[in-house]
Amino acid sequence: MSTAKAAMRIELRDVHVTLADRPVLTTVSLSFREGEQVAVLGPSGAGKTTLLRVIVGAVVPQRGAVLLDGIDPHSSRAALTRLRRSIGCVRQRDDLVRGLTARTNILASVAYQWRPRDWGSVLLGNVPRRYRDRLAEIAQSYEIDEVLAAPVERLSGGQRQRVAVARAVFGNPRLLLADESTAGLDPVRAARALDDLQYGGATLIATTHDLRIAQRFPRVIALREGAVVFDGEFAGPADLRRIYGEAVGTEMQTAIGTESGTEPVA
Amino acid sequence: MIPPSRRRPRWSTLLLLAAIAAGAWSLAETGVGSASLLAGREGAAQMIGGLLPPDLDPELLSRLGPAALQTVQISIASLVIGAVIGLPLAMLIAGNTEAPRWLSGLARLVATAFRSVHELLWALIFVATVGLGPAAGVYAIGVHSAGVIAKLCSEQLEAVDPAPVEAMRITGGSRVTCALLGVMPQARANIASQLLYQWECNIRSSVVVGFVGGGGIGEALGIALRLFRYQELATLLCAVLLIVAAVDQVSRLIRARVGATTSTNAISGTRRRSLLTLGRRTS
Repeated sequence: MSTAKAAMRIELRDVHVTLADRPVLTTVSLSFREGEQVAVLGPSGAGKTTLLRVIVGAVVPQRGAVLLDGIDPHSSRAALTRLRRSIGCVRQRDDLVRGLTARTNILASVAYQWRPRDWGSVLLGNVPRRYRDRLAEIAQSYEIDEVLAAPVERLSGGQRQRVAVARAVFGNPRLLLADESTAGLDPVRAARALDDLQYGGATLIATTHDLRIAQRFPRVIALREGAVVFDGEFAGPADLRRIYGEAVGTEMQTAIGTESGTEPVA
Repeated sequence: MIPPSRRRPRWSTLLLLAAIAAGAWSLAETGVGSASLLAGREGAAQMIGGLLPPDLDPELLSRLGPAALQTVQISIASLVIGAVIGLPLAMLIAGNTEAPRWLSGLARLVATAFRSVHELLWALIFVATVGLGPAAGVYAIGVHSAGVIAKLCSEQLEAVDPAPVEAMRITGGSRVTCALLGVMPQARANIASQLLYQWECNIRSSVVVGFVGGGGIGEALGIALRLFRYQELATLLCAVLLIVAAVDQVSRLIRARVGATTSTNAISGTRRRSLLTLGRRTS
């Protein structure tokens, strides 16, 4: 059951978004291949979150087109729902429902598959038979076996984050979106959280403001003031000026040049 | 130096003056004052004298137990009816469960109608239709509390953290899923607390509703009052005090157990909402 369905391909053409009279994305054209793993890098306010919200159809661009697997998510309500059901989502705040156990939170991600009997079973705190193996498998790989039965408000931050990732991948998504999901984690846990997201061949788009996180991805898209300023593999300090602009980029380049290490600092 | 004030009187000052005038006028027009109190002093003295000593006749005491029990039963039964009708209405009314607009408008209308008619009026209507007895009292309090529960619980539902609900929606959760698995669990403890509070209100109402024939200890109280049996009345009043105090205590104990959060939760919930609803939402 762990094999993901075919990954999702995404295309954005000349997408323009204005929120509260402020341009947030300006003529963004991007395409993501099936199974591609991409970091979206940029300071806060650069439009990273809006980009993800455009992809899930929560923000409708004023101009331009979004195509998921060649389908416009806004062509019909059914299309939007069908596409959304193959998307897994992890945000900086874990977004788990307080008052439910970790287990029910994870199962809720596939509530659209439930029959009336499953509803009864879940609301009574049980796991429907057909989800038992899948739940055990996921719980083991994210090391959350012991906390499955606990209400999420009793879990530690790290445990909650793992439960959130487990929930996102439980239904075998074809697209995984991570919005600053590593923010606030120490470097070791951030690396671990990133590994957790490399799941079953799904297309992965992760936003971050941290270059150290972004450069672990084979493809980095940098956004600045709503526009794409860099798209490709991060090759080294020479790219900093394109990502951060002349002034900041040069400053960072100098800072890195004077340091002995080659590790860029964001 | 502060220049001499040449502003016109502020609105708040005018409002205060108007409120004082309205208060004074209403008190005078309704005949409140020392004269009416003096006029009533004899009746009051007679009544207080008549209350003592409370009647401890075994026959009365043997009627007291079942009547008190019936009052408690009325309060619980009406809470059940109120919750069964009121909670679904609350779900429909709460904006974040995204019920179809016509349906939530209809639910709001029904709840308002239930709530704005007083229990006593409902009791008169039900006594006239289903006849004297505890059933009429249960219907009367049940319908009114359904309206109250719908309003208060819909507010509790709206105060939950919207972020997890939105996360469900953008990954394809249906409206029913988001309402039942996203909104409801977050508000559960506060709703339980709200229902317990309603139970306390129902027990007080059931005494009043008994006056007009809605059963329970209230009915016995009404009869004693109308027949000027003040010693019996004193005993019944003591019993009412005991019941209300006992229910309040039980309710408080249970509420402490369910661990409802206070309004601070609601405040942070609404603050978060403003950050998350920026932009055009499609669903």
